[in-house]
Amino acid sequence: METAIQPTWLSRLNAVWAPPTVLDFWLSRLNPLWSWNQARARVVERRPEAEGVATLVLKPNRHFRGFRPGQHVNIGVEIDGVRYTRSYSASDMPRADGRIRITVKAVEGGKVGEHLQTIPLGSVLSLGQAFGELCVPESAPCLMLAAGSGITPMLALVNAQAATGFAQPVRLAYWARTRAELAQVGELRALAAGHRNFNVHFVLTGEAAQAVDELEGRIEPRHLAALVPGNEPAHVLACGPHGFVERAREVLSGHGLSFQAEAFSPPPRVIDASDQGHVRVTLLKSGRTLDIARNKSVLEALEEQGVMPRHGCRMGICNTCACGKPSGATRHLHDRSVQHEPTQALRLCIQAAQSDLSLEL
Amino acid sequence: MSKIKSRALSADELHRFGEELDALRARTLATLGQRDADYIRRIVAGVRWLGLGGRVMLMTGAVLGSTVLPLLLWPLCILGTVLLGLSKILENMELGHNVMHGQYDWMGDPALQGRSYEWDIVGTSDNWRKTHNYSHHTWTNVRGMDDDIGYGLLRIFPEQRWKPFYLLQPLVAVVFALLFEWGVALQDLRLGRWFAGKMKGRTLWKMTTPVAKKAGKQVLKDYLVFPLLAGPYFLPVLLGNVVANVIRNIWTYVIIFCGHFTADAEVFPKESVRNETRGHWYLRQLRGSSNLTGGRVIDLWSGNLSRQIEHHFYPDIPANRYAAMAVEVRAICSRYGQHYNTGSLPKQFGTVVWRILRHAFPSKPGPARPLMAAG
Repeated sequence: METAIQPTWLSRLNAVWAPPTVLDFWLSRLNPLWSWNQARARVVERRPEAEGVATLVLKPNRHFRGFRPGQHVNIGVEIDGVRYTRSYSASDMPRADGRIRITVKAVEGGKVGEHLQTIPLGSVLSLGQAFGELCVPESAPCLMLAAGSGITPMLALVNAQAATGFAQPVRLAYWARTRAELAQVGELRALAAGHRNFNVHFVLTGEAAQAVDELEGRIEPRHLAALVPGNEPAHVLACGPHGFVERAREVLSGHGLSFQAEAFSPPPRVIDASDQGHVRVTLLKSGRTLDIARNKSVLEALEEQGVMPRHGCRMGICNTCACGKPSGATRHLHDRSVQHEPTQALRLCIQAAQSDLSLEL
Repeated sequence: MSKIKSRALSADELHRFGEELDALRARTLATLGQRDADYIRRIVAGVRWLGLGGRVMLMTGAVLGSTVLPLLLWPLCILGTVLLGLSKILENMELGHNVMHGQYDWMGDPALQGRSYEWDIVGTSDNWRKTHNYSHHTWTNVRGMDDDIGYGLLRIFPEQRWKPFYLLQPLVAVVFALLFEWGVALQDLRLGRWFAGKMKGRTLWKMTTPVAKKAGKQVLKDYLVFPLLAGPYFLPVLLGNVVANVIRNIWTYVIIFCGHFTADAEVFPKESVRNETRGHWYLRQLRGSSNLTGGRVIDLWSGNLSRQIEHHFYPDIPANRYAAMAVEVRAICSRYGQHYNTGSLPKQFGTVVWRILRHAFPSKPGPARPLMAAG
């Protein structure tokens, strides 16, 4: 999520008398948004959108290289001294003033979503470069399937299409449990009313459908009659939790549709607490994937598999074996506490794998 | 040799001793949060402002003092040098040393990550992480495993074999103090092994490259770039930088030597760490370390190495917590009949000086002081 910039003669010279961290200290005294090489953003607008949903408008500094509609950014926010990083989709198309709009949902027990609902205007957040591949094809009908906060990249894509008058047909189906959890309903209906090439369906899983543009139930083949009328070939974009995306893929398979998906899952909060069995570890630097035991330190378990990470004391004090863990849960071998958050420094010698992991090894 | 002040513990006592110290660790970790983040950022700010103040005064003193206001030359240059020295002391000790232990890794702030932090001193952080974080902290005061025992240069303990070279050590120790940062920078190169023909020239060259690069950068910064900013009046700035670095060298040397070389500090044979238990490791850390009294001022300027015992028990817990933990650590130690080695800076350093002088000459170890009771 940190942005690397090619060294120039100026940065090389500066590194001699003042390394980037020193320059950043002084720049951030002048303006918290300023940095020598890090992308950051200031919260310039915040408004409630629906129950537990807020929209933030962020003003990035010059290190942010922009985004395409439907892309996501990593936002870093500090809560009680700890920096948490979460991915959010830009929920609008790129604006002339370069600002980014994100829609944030408070998840029960989720620290970051909760915190961002009430974050004071003017707060500065750390920012990563935009990523994500979802895009609307140039000249084919497009079917968008969104569930929950999977709607945000779709909103950005729809807005971008609206700006050019929907050159090709776009159909959006938007799943949520209840009506109260739907965001931007009025805007979407207005767009559908104003453009022949755009239509929208709201699909409720916890309430009965009432309006004509409402459907109900989890995604099933029977929805296709409404979403793909006449079985026209379309490019399908799906975004939502893992389960939703997988189900959508199954339902649509055999219809000859091209399928592009992005899945997210909230950090698992209930995990098998035992130390039995194996989990899958992805070593990001060497590109290897292997299964390791859960009943011993990650270090020992990797060594068993012939991977020899750098290490020192083997008792959790020297920090030599610390490496980045972008995802997965680990269990501390002394106090058995479980850690889900991504970290830049996981001590392999005193942490056991609790779920599938990815490690910067 | 001082008399025996701590008793040997049974295996069961050692186990409980370790458990009590682990419980204190867990209680403290559970409360880390905003105030610790605020603390270390205040330290960062202190380092930066002292450094800026020092450099600006040094520069002003040099330029104005050499041209229009000769009266200002000495006062501004001295004040600037002292501030710069303090900035470096604070950066090396309370910021760099503690951050490199990974004490603030939990914050997730990329600028305060233990594995990537680079400090303002000629030695590389990578070598430090190896010789200090690993060798010294894991094998504290174990002969043949902890290179910090006399830094391969001094005979501090009678257990070290005497050689005629040690007769020179009162002088060597002073030179080592003045050039301490260079000693630390070269420590991991083990030049002794190369001189003795135990290491190939090519191996040494490979290890030297990053060390020379870092040292070159520091020399360029302190002794070339900043002095040249003063143009023709570079000399006072250059001297100020030299003196600031030497002030830091002497102070860090004094504090670090008080950590493990005081009268009551013990060394251990290699056999003692075979199949070492956690309780035994804790006890060895206690017996090999010594604290300094003096409260908040000495805590801050020693980078909390005045709490060396707590630091060795909990090298990865933010150092600003050591003072509070020390109350409980001391109580635990006294319950298990263990001496808590602490004293004022003059008293503790006095015993270090005595060791350097005494063990320059042949000396014999006192009676064994086992950590663990037989049977």
